[in-house]
Amino acid sequence: MTMHGAAGSGPTSSDLYDAATDAFRRWRSDDDSALDELVRMMSPVLWHVVRATGLDREAAEDVVQNTWLTLVRSGESVRDPQAITRWLCTAARREAWRVSKAATRTRPVEDDVIDARLPVQSSPEGQVVENDAKIQLWQALARLPERCQKLLRIVAWEPRPDYSSVAEGLDMPIGSIGPTRRRCLDKLRGELGSAS
Amino acid sequence: MTTTDDELLRSVADLYTAYDPAPPDLADGVLARIAVEGLEIEYELLTLVERVDVNAGIRGADTATTGTVALEFAGTAYRVLVRISAAEGGGRRIDGWVLPTVPMRVFLGPAGEDVTAHTPLTAYSDLDGRFEFSAPMTGEVRLWLLPLAAAEGTGESPQSPFVTPPFRV
Repeated sequence: MTMHGAAGSGPTSSDLYDAATDAFRRWRSDDDSALDELVRMMSPVLWHVVRATGLDREAAEDVVQNTWLTLVRSGESVRDPQAITRWLCTAARREAWRVSKAATRTRPVEDDVIDARLPVQSSPEGQVVENDAKIQLWQALARLPERCQKLLRIVAWEPRPDYSSVAEGLDMPIGSIGPTRRRCLDKLRGELGSAS
Repeated sequence: MTTTDDELLRSVADLYTAYDPAPPDLADGVLARIAVEGLEIEYELLTLVERVDVNAGIRGADTATTGTVALEFAGTAYRVLVRISAAEGGGRRIDGWVLPTVPMRVFLGPAGEDVTAHTPLTAYSDLDGRFEFSAPMTGEVRLWLLPLAAAEGTGESPQSPFVTPPFRV
Protein backbone atom coordinates (compact mmCIF):
# COMPACT_ATOMS: atom_id res chain seq x y z
CA MET A 1 0.00 0.00 0.00
CA THR A 2 1.39 3.32 -1.03
CA MET A 3 0.87 6.15 1.39
CA HIS A 4 0.59 9.59 -0.06
CA GLY A 5 1.19 12.58 2.08
CA ALA A 6 -0.49 14.54 -0.66
CA ALA A 7 -2.87 16.42 1.59
CA GLY A 8 0.05 17.96 3.39
CA SER A 9 2.10 18.70 0.33
CA GLY A 10 -0.08 21.59 -0.71
CA PRO A 11 -2.93 22.01 -3.11
CA THR A 12 -0.94 23.62 -5.86
CA SER A 13 1.71 20.96 -5.72
CA SER A 14 2.20 19.39 -9.11
CA ASP A 15 3.22 16.20 -7.27
CA LEU A 16 -0.37 15.81 -6.17
CA TYR A 17 -1.69 16.27 -9.68
CA ASP A 18 0.82 13.80 -11.07
CA ALA A 19 0.00 11.26 -8.38
CA ALA A 20 -3.72 11.68 -8.99
CA THR A 21 -3.30 11.28 -12.73
CA ASP A 22 -1.22 8.16 -12.20
CA ALA A 23 -3.74 6.63 -9.77
CA PHE A 24 -6.63 7.41 -12.10
CA ARG A 25 -4.82 5.75 -15.00
CA ARG A 26 -4.17 2.64 -12.94
CA TRP A 27 -7.79 2.50 -11.79
CA ARG A 28 -8.87 2.73 -15.42
CA SER A 29 -6.72 -0.28 -16.17
CA ASP A 30 -8.57 -2.27 -13.53
CA ASP A 31 -6.38 -1.72 -10.51
CA ASP A 32 -9.08 -1.33 -7.85
CA SER A 33 -6.69 -0.30 -5.10
CA ALA A 34 -5.74 2.74 -7.18
CA LEU A 35 -9.22 4.19 -6.61
CA ASP A 36 -8.60 3.86 -2.89
CA GLU A 37 -5.40 5.87 -3.29
CA LEU A 38 -7.09 8.48 -5.45
CA VAL A 39 -9.90 8.93 -2.92
CA ARG A 40 -7.46 9.30 -0.04
CA MET A 41 -5.28 11.85 -1.80
CA MET A 42 -8.02 13.98 -3.39
CA SER A 43 -10.80 13.98 -0.78
CA PRO A 44 -9.10 16.58 1.46
CA VAL A 45 -8.71 18.88 -1.56
CA LEU A 46 -12.34 18.41 -2.55
CA TRP A 47 -13.30 19.18 1.03
CA HIS A 48 -11.80 22.64 0.72
CA VAL A 49 -13.18 23.20 -2.76
CA VAL A 50 -16.64 22.48 -1.38
CA ARG A 51 -16.24 24.39 1.87
CA ALA A 52 -15.14 27.42 -0.15
CA THR A 53 -18.69 27.61 -1.48
CA GLY A 54 -20.00 28.20 2.04
CA LEU A 55 -21.59 24.82 2.71
CA ASP A 56 -21.62 23.62 6.32
CA ARG A 57 -19.41 20.70 7.27
CA GLU A 58 -22.09 18.03 7.16
CA ALA A 59 -23.39 19.06 3.75
CA ALA A 60 -19.81 19.36 2.52
CA GLU A 61 -19.12 15.75 3.44
CA ASP A 62 -22.18 14.63 1.46
CA VAL A 63 -21.10 16.63 -1.56
CA VAL A 64 -17.62 15.11 -1.47
CA GLN A 65 -19.13 11.62 -1.33
CA ASN A 66 -21.54 12.34 -4.16
CA THR A 67 -18.74 13.70 -6.31
CA TRP A 68 -16.89 10.41 -6.01
CA LEU A 69 -20.02 8.40 -6.74
CA THR A 70 -20.48 10.44 -9.90
CA LEU A 71 -16.94 9.60 -10.92
CA VAL A 72 -17.41 5.91 -10.23
CA ARG A 73 -20.64 5.87 -12.21
CA SER A 74 -19.33 7.87 -15.13
CA GLY A 75 -15.56 7.55 -14.95
CA GLU A 76 -15.55 6.75 -18.65
CA SER A 77 -16.57 10.32 -19.37
CA VAL A 78 -13.24 11.64 -18.14
CA ARG A 79 -11.40 11.46 -21.43
CA ASP A 80 -8.01 12.71 -20.38
CA PRO A 81 -6.54 11.23 -17.19
CA GLN A 82 -4.53 14.42 -16.74
CA ALA A 83 -7.80 16.27 -16.36
CA ILE A 84 -8.91 14.17 -13.39
CA THR A 85 -8.17 16.70 -10.65
CA ARG A 86 -9.88 19.46 -12.61
CA TRP A 87 -12.83 17.19 -13.34
CA LEU A 88 -13.20 16.33 -9.64
CA CYS A 89 -12.86 19.91 -8.43
CA THR A 90 -15.32 21.24 -10.99
CA ALA A 91 -17.87 18.48 -10.33
CA ALA A 92 -17.56 19.07 -6.56
CA ARG A 93 -17.92 22.82 -6.93
CA ARG A 94 -20.98 22.61 -9.19
CA GLU A 95 -22.68 20.15 -6.88
CA ALA A 96 -21.82 22.34 -3.87
CA TRP A 97 -23.33 25.45 -5.46
CA ARG A 98 -26.41 23.47 -6.38
CA VAL A 99 -26.85 22.19 -2.82
CA SER A 100 -26.07 25.54 -1.27
CA LYS A 101 -28.59 27.35 -3.48
CA ALA A 102 -31.25 24.78 -2.62
CA ALA A 103 -30.37 25.14 1.06
CA THR A 104 -30.63 28.92 1.18
CA ARG A 105 -34.27 28.58 0.19
CA THR A 106 -35.02 26.70 3.39
CA ARG A 107 -32.35 27.76 5.83
CA PRO A 108 -29.44 30.17 5.86
CA VAL A 109 -26.13 28.77 4.78
CA GLU A 110 -23.32 29.00 7.30
CA ASP A 111 -21.75 32.41 7.32
CA ASP A 112 -18.57 31.81 5.42
CA VAL A 113 -17.14 35.27 5.64
CA ILE A 114 -14.25 35.08 7.99
CA ASP A 115 -14.21 36.90 11.24
CA ALA A 116 -11.34 39.17 12.18
CA ARG A 117 -10.94 37.18 15.37
CA LEU A 118 -9.03 33.96 15.17
CA PRO A 119 -11.34 31.01 14.87
CA VAL A 120 -11.57 28.39 17.56
CA GLN A 121 -8.80 26.00 16.79
CA SER A 122 -10.39 22.84 15.50
CA SER A 123 -7.28 20.99 14.44
CA PRO A 124 -4.85 19.34 16.79
CA GLU A 125 -2.16 21.62 15.47
CA GLY A 126 -2.29 24.01 18.37
CA GLN A 127 0.98 25.50 17.36
CA VAL A 128 -0.69 27.13 14.38
CA VAL A 129 -2.27 29.72 16.63
CA GLU A 130 1.15 30.84 17.73
CA ASN A 131 2.27 31.28 14.20
CA ASP A 132 2.42 35.03 13.66
CA ALA A 133 2.42 34.80 9.90
CA LYS A 134 -0.80 32.82 9.92
CA ILE A 135 -2.49 35.25 12.28
CA GLN A 136 -1.48 38.17 10.09
CA LEU A 137 -2.70 36.44 6.98
CA TRP A 138 -6.02 35.60 8.63
CA GLN A 139 -6.53 39.18 9.72
CA ALA A 140 -5.54 40.51 6.31
CA LEU A 141 -8.04 38.19 4.64
CA ALA A 142 -10.73 39.29 7.06
CA ARG A 143 -10.25 42.91 5.94
CA LEU A 144 -10.90 42.04 2.29
CA PRO A 145 -14.34 42.38 0.71
CA GLU A 146 -16.47 39.25 0.96
CA ARG A 147 -16.18 38.52 -2.74
CA CYS A 148 -12.37 38.52 -2.49
CA GLN A 149 -12.41 36.20 0.49
CA LYS A 150 -14.56 33.74 -1.39
CA LEU A 151 -12.65 33.92 -4.64
CA LEU A 152 -9.22 33.61 -3.02
CA ARG A 153 -10.37 30.63 -1.01
CA ILE A 154 -11.47 28.98 -4.24
CA VAL A 155 -8.37 29.69 -6.29
CA ALA A 156 -6.13 28.73 -3.39
CA TRP A 157 -7.12 25.12 -4.04
CA GLU A 158 -7.01 25.21 -7.76
CA PRO A 159 -4.66 27.65 -9.45
CA ARG A 160 -6.65 27.58 -12.69
CA PRO A 161 -10.19 26.57 -11.85
CA ASP A 162 -12.99 26.17 -14.33
CA TYR A 163 -14.06 29.81 -14.40
CA SER A 164 -17.61 29.13 -15.54
CA SER A 165 -18.36 27.06 -12.42
CA VAL A 166 -16.81 29.80 -10.25
CA ALA A 167 -18.63 32.63 -12.01
CA GLU A 168 -21.94 30.86 -11.72
CA GLY A 169 -21.61 30.34 -8.00
CA LEU A 170 -20.34 33.80 -7.20
CA ASP A 171 -22.85 35.47 -9.53
CA MET A 172 -20.08 37.21 -11.43
CA PRO A 173 -19.54 37.49 -15.17
CA ILE A 174 -16.94 34.98 -16.35
CA GLY A 175 -14.79 37.73 -17.80
CA SER A 176 -14.42 39.46 -14.47
CA ILE A 177 -13.05 36.45 -12.55
CA GLY A 178 -9.49 36.87 -13.81
CA PRO A 179 -9.28 40.64 -13.14
CA THR A 180 -11.03 40.25 -9.77
CA ARG A 181 -8.59 37.54 -8.77
CA ARG A 182 -5.73 39.85 -9.70
CA ARG A 183 -7.23 42.74 -7.71
CA CYS A 184 -7.96 40.57 -4.68
CA LEU A 185 -4.43 39.21 -4.60
CA ASP A 186 -3.06 42.75 -4.80
CA LYS A 187 -5.37 43.85 -2.01
CA LEU A 188 -4.28 40.94 0.14
CA ARG A 189 -0.65 41.76 -0.52
CA GLY A 190 -1.39 45.38 0.39
CA GLU A 191 -3.09 44.39 3.63
CA LEU A 192 -0.19 42.14 4.54
CA GLY A 193 2.27 44.91 3.73
CA SER A 194 0.46 47.54 5.77
CA ALA A 195 0.18 45.22 8.74
CA SER A 196 3.89 44.60 9.02
CA MET B 1 9.14 41.47 0.72
CA THR B 2 7.76 40.14 -2.52
CA THR B 3 5.55 37.12 -2.59
CA THR B 4 4.47 35.44 -5.80
CA ASP B 5 0.79 34.78 -6.41
CA ASP B 6 1.38 31.07 -6.08
CA GLU B 7 3.16 31.48 -2.75
CA LEU B 8 0.42 33.72 -1.45
CA LEU B 9 -2.32 31.35 -2.52
CA ARG B 10 -0.37 28.47 -1.10
CA SER B 11 -0.32 30.15 2.30
CA VAL B 12 -4.06 30.87 2.05
CA ALA B 13 -4.61 27.16 1.37
CA ASP B 14 -2.37 26.23 4.31
CA LEU B 15 -4.36 28.55 6.51
CA TYR B 16 -7.66 26.88 5.66
CA THR B 17 -6.08 23.46 5.99
CA ALA B 18 -5.20 24.35 9.56
CA TYR B 19 -8.42 26.09 10.52
CA ASP B 20 -10.96 24.02 8.66
CA PRO B 21 -9.43 20.57 8.33
CA ALA B 22 -11.27 17.83 6.48
CA PRO B 23 -12.84 15.29 8.85
CA PRO B 24 -10.30 12.53 9.53
CA ASP B 25 -12.74 9.86 8.33
CA LEU B 26 -13.73 11.71 5.15
CA ALA B 27 -12.03 9.29 2.77
CA ASP B 28 -13.32 6.25 4.69
CA GLY B 29 -16.87 7.53 4.32
CA VAL B 30 -16.33 7.99 0.60
CA LEU B 31 -14.93 4.48 0.23
CA ALA B 32 -17.86 3.05 2.18
CA ARG B 33 -20.31 4.74 -0.18
CA ILE B 34 -18.39 3.56 -3.22
CA ALA B 35 -18.25 0.01 -1.85
CA VAL B 36 -22.00 -0.12 -1.52
CA GLU B 37 -22.48 1.34 -4.99
CA GLY B 38 -22.99 -1.23 -7.66
CA LEU B 39 -23.74 -3.90 -5.12
CA GLU B 40 -26.18 -5.76 -7.33
CA ILE B 41 -23.58 -6.21 -10.02
CA GLU B 42 -20.54 -7.37 -8.16
CA TYR B 43 -21.74 -8.69 -4.85
CA GLU B 44 -22.67 -12.28 -4.31
CA LEU B 45 -26.11 -12.42 -2.77
CA LEU B 46 -26.20 -14.78 0.19
CA THR B 47 -29.31 -16.76 0.93
CA LEU B 48 -31.09 -17.06 4.23
CA VAL B 49 -30.72 -20.63 5.39
CA GLU B 50 -32.15 -20.38 8.86
CA ARG B 51 -34.10 -17.99 11.04
CA VAL B 52 -34.65 -18.59 14.72
CA ASP B 53 -36.78 -16.35 16.88
CA VAL B 54 -35.34 -16.80 20.32
CA ASN B 55 -37.80 -16.13 23.15
CA ALA B 56 -40.19 -14.61 20.68
CA GLY B 57 -43.68 -14.22 22.01
CA ILE B 58 -46.44 -13.37 19.64
CA ARG B 59 -44.91 -12.04 16.44
CA GLY B 60 -45.88 -8.45 16.03
CA ALA B 61 -44.68 -4.92 15.83
CA ASP B 62 -44.29 -4.54 19.60
CA THR B 63 -42.69 -7.84 20.48
CA ALA B 64 -40.25 -7.39 17.64
CA THR B 65 -38.41 -4.80 19.69
CA THR B 66 -37.74 -7.13 22.63
CA GLY B 67 -37.13 -10.54 21.13
CA THR B 68 -33.84 -11.90 19.92
CA VAL B 69 -33.61 -13.12 16.37
CA ALA B 70 -30.85 -15.27 14.96
CA LEU B 71 -30.31 -15.43 11.22
CA GLU B 72 -27.95 -17.54 9.21
CA PHE B 73 -26.95 -16.68 5.68
CA ALA B 74 -24.81 -18.75 3.34
CA GLY B 75 -23.10 -18.31 0.00
CA THR B 76 -20.51 -20.20 -1.99
CA ALA B 77 -17.55 -19.22 0.16
CA TYR B 78 -18.90 -17.74 3.36
CA ARG B 79 -21.43 -18.23 6.07
CA VAL B 80 -22.71 -15.34 8.19
CA LEU B 81 -24.55 -15.58 11.50
CA VAL B 82 -26.40 -12.52 12.71
CA ARG B 83 -28.02 -12.03 16.07
CA ILE B 84 -30.34 -9.08 16.60
CA SER B 85 -31.11 -8.43 20.23
CA ALA B 86 -32.16 -5.73 22.64
CA ALA B 87 -29.40 -3.30 23.62
CA GLU B 88 -29.02 -2.07 27.19
CA GLY B 89 -30.25 1.40 26.42
CA GLY B 90 -33.50 0.11 24.97
CA GLY B 91 -32.42 0.08 21.32
CA ARG B 92 -31.24 -2.85 19.25
CA ARG B 93 -27.83 -4.28 18.62
CA ILE B 94 -26.44 -6.57 15.99
CA ASP B 95 -23.78 -9.17 16.63
CA GLY B 96 -22.39 -11.05 13.70
CA TRP B 97 -19.94 -13.79 12.92
CA VAL B 98 -18.52 -14.65 9.59
CA LEU B 99 -16.86 -17.91 8.62
CA PRO B 100 -14.21 -18.57 7.54
CA THR B 101 -12.53 -15.88 9.62
CA VAL B 102 -11.00 -13.70 6.95
CA PRO B 103 -10.61 -10.01 7.96
CA MET B 104 -13.57 -8.14 6.56
CA ARG B 105 -15.01 -4.70 6.31
CA VAL B 106 -18.72 -4.88 7.09
CA PHE B 107 -21.28 -2.26 6.12
CA LEU B 108 -24.77 -1.95 7.47
CA GLY B 109 -27.20 0.11 5.43
CA PRO B 110 -30.87 0.45 4.58
CA ALA B 111 -32.15 -2.15 2.14
CA GLY B 112 -34.07 0.24 -0.09
CA GLU B 113 -33.28 1.29 -3.61
CA ASP B 114 -31.70 4.48 -2.39
CA VAL B 115 -29.00 2.78 -0.36
CA THR B 116 -26.26 4.88 -1.86
CA ALA B 117 -28.02 8.01 -0.62
CA HIS B 118 -26.95 7.05 2.90
CA THR B 119 -23.62 6.55 4.48
CA PRO B 120 -23.61 3.01 5.80
CA LEU B 121 -22.27 2.13 9.22
CA THR B 122 -18.93 0.40 9.09
CA ALA B 123 -17.42 -2.32 11.25
CA TYR B 124 -14.52 -4.74 10.92
CA SER B 125 -14.57 -8.40 11.77
CA ASP B 126 -12.00 -9.44 14.35
CA LEU B 127 -9.72 -12.47 14.44
CA ASP B 128 -12.64 -14.67 15.47
CA GLY B 129 -14.75 -13.40 12.62
CA ARG B 130 -16.89 -11.42 15.01
CA PHE B 131 -18.31 -7.96 14.29
CA GLU B 132 -20.92 -5.80 15.93
CA PHE B 133 -23.11 -2.76 15.44
CA SER B 134 -24.06 -1.52 18.88
CA ALA B 135 -26.39 1.18 17.59
CA PRO B 136 -27.69 -0.03 14.25
CA MET B 137 -30.23 1.72 12.11
CA THR B 138 -33.62 0.04 12.27
CA GLY B 139 -36.04 -1.09 9.61
CA GLU B 140 -35.14 -3.10 6.53
CA VAL B 141 -31.37 -3.39 6.31
CA ARG B 142 -28.68 -5.45 4.67
CA LEU B 143 -25.09 -6.24 5.45
CA TRP B 144 -22.40 -5.88 2.82
CA LEU B 145 -19.19 -7.77 3.55
CA LEU B 146 -15.88 -7.08 1.87
CA PRO B 147 -13.04 -9.48 2.50
CA LEU B 148 -9.95 -7.34 2.96
CA ALA B 149 -6.76 -7.99 1.08
CA ALA B 150 -4.95 -11.01 2.41
CA ALA B 151 -2.08 -10.32 4.78
CA GLU B 152 1.05 -9.05 3.07
CA GLY B 153 3.18 -11.77 1.62
CA THR B 154 0.65 -14.61 1.66
CA GLY B 155 0.01 -14.06 -2.01
CA GLU B 156 -3.68 -14.74 -1.61
CA SER B 157 -6.06 -12.45 -3.36
CA PRO B 158 -9.18 -11.32 -1.52
CA GLN B 159 -12.42 -13.15 -2.18
CA SER B 160 -15.41 -11.50 -3.80
CA PRO B 161 -17.60 -9.28 -1.66
CA PHE B 162 -21.07 -10.44 -0.71
CA VAL B 163 -24.32 -9.08 0.61
CA THR B 164 -27.13 -10.49 2.71
CA PRO B 165 -30.73 -10.31 1.61
CA PRO B 166 -32.73 -7.61 3.42
CA PHE B 167 -33.71 -8.36 6.99
CA ARG B 168 -35.55 -6.43 9.64
CA VAL B 169 -33.97 -4.82 12.70
